[in-house]
Amino acid sequence: MNKEVVLQVKNLKTHFTTSKGTAKAVDGVDFTLHKGETLGIVGESGCGKSITSLSLLRLIPTPPGKIVEGEILLNNKDIVKMKEEELRKVRGNQISMIFQEPMTSLNPIIPVGEQIAETIRLHQRLPRKPAWQKAVDLLEMVGLPSPEKRAKQEPFQLSGGMRQRVMIAMALACTPEVLIADEPTTALDVTIQAQILELMKDLQKQIGMSIIFITHDLGVVSEVCDQVAVMYAGQIVEHRNAKDLFKTPLHPYTQGLLSSLPNIHENQQELQTIEGSVPSPYDYPVGCRFADRCPHAREICRAEAPDLLETNNAETKVRCFMHTEKWEVIEEKEELVCP
Amino acid sequence: MSITTKSPILEVNHLKQYFSLKKESLFSPKQTVKAVDDISFKLYPGETLSIVGESGCGKSTTGRSILRLDEPTEGEVLFNGTSMTSLSKKELRNVRGDIQVIFQDPYASLNPRQTIRKMLQEAMSIQKVMPKEQMEARLLELMSLVGLRPEYLERYPHEFSGGQRQRIGIARALCVNPKVIICDEAVSALDVSIQAQIINLLKSMQRDLDLTFLFISHDLSVVRHISDRVIVMYLGTIVEIADKDSLFDSPSHPYTKALLSAIPSIDEQHKKDRIILKGDVPSPIDPPTGCRFHTRCPFATDYCKKEVPALRSLSETHQVACHYAESLLKEEIV
Ligand SMILES: Nc1ncnc2c1ncn2[C@@H]1O[C@H](COP(=O)(O)OP(=O)(O)OP(=O)(O)O)[C@@H](O)[C@H]1O
Ligand SMILES: Nc1ncnc2c1ncn2[C@@H]1O[C@H](COP(=O)(O)OP(=O)(O)O)[C@@H](O)[C@H]1O
Ligand code: SF4
Ligand code: SF4
Ligand SMILES: [Mg+2]
Ligand SMILES: [Mg+2]
Repeated sequence: MNKEVVLQVKNLKTHFTTSKGTAKAVDGVDFTLHKGETLGIVGESGCGKSITSLSLLRLIPTPPGKIVEGEILLNNKDIVKMKEEELRKVRGNQISMIFQEPMTSLNPIIPVGEQIAETIRLHQRLPRKPAWQKAVDLLEMVGLPSPEKRAKQEPFQLSGGMRQRVMIAMALACTPEVLIADEPTTALDVTIQAQILELMKDLQKQIGMSIIFITHDLGVVSEVCDQVAVMYAGQIVEHRNAKDLFKTPLHPYTQGLLSSLPNIHENQQELQTIEGSVPSPYDYPVGCRFADRCPHAREICRAEAPDLLETNNAETKVRCFMHTEKWEVIEEKEELVCP
Repeated sequence: MSITTKSPILEVNHLKQYFSLKKESLFSPKQTVKAVDDISFKLYPGETLSIVGESGCGKSTTGRSILRLDEPTEGEVLFNGTSMTSLSKKELRNVRGDIQVIFQDPYASLNPRQTIRKMLQEAMSIQKVMPKEQMEARLLELMSLVGLRPEYLERYPHEFSGGQRQRIGIARALCVNPKVIICDEAVSALDVSIQAQIINLLKSMQRDLDLTFLFISHDLSVVRHISDRVIVMYLGTIVEIADKDSLFDSPSHPYTKALLSAIPSIDEQHKKDRIILKGDVPSPIDPPTGCRFHTRCPFATDYCKKEVPALRSLSETHQVACHYAESLLKEEIV
């Protein structure tokens, strides 16, 4: 496959140092994002999704947070090493971001059209009039009803769904190569979520950007993503093509996650569960971080940490001893140590 | 067992809950939010009846009115045939023990300075559930029932994870031997793996303790899993009530159909046939005339704009409020 690589993240570690110790929020994340592709990052609360995405733009509050290791290569230039000035050009121009609660990133007292126009002026050095016109065009493109009128309104005069459309318009103002969307529809009702997801898919087709889509909702991932990275305890445990992942999940955590979802299309008796809870980021176990909850765990899983490795399909990566060659031997030699 | 042969444990008749808003200025007109606008339904012993709908449609308000946390504007709630509005303070307190509630965020409702033991003991003494001597055994029983270690009794709420706190919320609801539990988004804030644990727990307790649930949720997958019957609300009114299978397999109200089709699915087979509704949910301050759904309904006619559709029966277990429900069902619209 010769897909063009846009963004490559290598061994990214973002840690927080607090009075309680060091929280290893992101602890060795690797992934590659191709042109025009939508990569979903999924996982349960606290596994490091948001800190990963904030790290990509170096938006981590420092202190207490810090990128302590790794590279973030945007078209082969390392964002981790960039000077502040260079970084400013990347933000908004090459990579933009939208968040769960648009209100936190919109100025509450400035009309939304003006806020978008301001971004355009700043990044593209357009004069006032054309910048305003472009803002209105963008609002029309994201499907805001009567864009001329809405552009003059302040954020609180719009509904949650409309505000998210405004955020998308703002993020697209400078046709970025990469759009990072952190739970962009989580605060919305399902009928509005369906509208926004449809919009994002359409826009991607038109513009051809790459998207990193962060969510805890596996249904949403399966609707919009080509590739999926499943995170657990600060690391990626499985990275696959979305269709394959949902059909035949490989990592025991992914398997557990999928089988604990209630199915809306059929009646079930009892839901499968994953017993126990996620380990604290201040104190991960030595071996596999999922070992305490894994029904397949052997002694080696408690003693050694598995790496994220390619399987016989080079596009599939999984972090689990079960999918290595030595597993057959382990299975014979070692007892199950599962919970 | 046909549920209609039993008498309901809880009956809600023509319930209305209006809130008047503060005037923005001296000259602006007085505004009223019609959070719940004339709803009626029955809850039968031992069943799980769910209320679903999008944010702001009046689910929580319905639950709060039943608990008399808000005084209803109009209508009545009958518990075992007796009107709750007619009860004295003391009688109401007894009934309150019979109807318990579990909220989305148990943290907000747990006293941070009380150990779990203290909290449960207090709740049990207020309701005079049992003599002091038997309490200790009951505490241990409760903890094992909700799957928590007995030593956790001595801990404080902040020492627990979200899933554990929800188990504590359940223990507190159970400690007074209630008959009905209202679960208001009780599993909505939890991660799926933890959510599954709590759902299984609720179901097994219902079996063992013969509980009746009113289960309020916006998550239709969870609702399908846990319910016997389902109420769909839109803008303060009930648009459809049906047994679970009819509702999910042959939804009859255009809003229910759209709602079901909007849910993102990991199932390839179910990805087509999405109905994307236009626009937003209108404001409950000034709801649309006629059928409240007409501003977004793909089948709305002029008649729908004028006439309020009554909730009427399609079958013994299926009621719907749409003028054209039968013909829409037949056409098998996409
Ligand atoms: N400022 C901070 N100081 C200390 N720890 C932090 C800080 N910010 C985040 N963390 C920790 O880092 C871990 C990862 O957080 P992150 O916000 O990335 O989670 P997430 O996967 O986005 O979760 P959610 O689904 O709840 O949004 C968590 O354990 C969190 O408690
Ligand atoms: N105390 C109150 N004062 C004013 N409006 C309220 C109050 N409580 C609820 N509402 C309004 O009533 C409607 C229904 O609310 P609610 O029952 O909480 O919705 P749901 O639980 O279905 O999301 C909403 O428009 C909400 O803003
Ligand atoms: S490495 Fe071992 S414990 Fe970890 S997921 Fe694989 S089998 Fe389970
Ligand atoms: S009554 Fe009319 S507007 Fe209302 S749901 Fe039925 S068809 Fe749509
Ligand atoms: Mg997050
Ligand atoms: Mg609510």
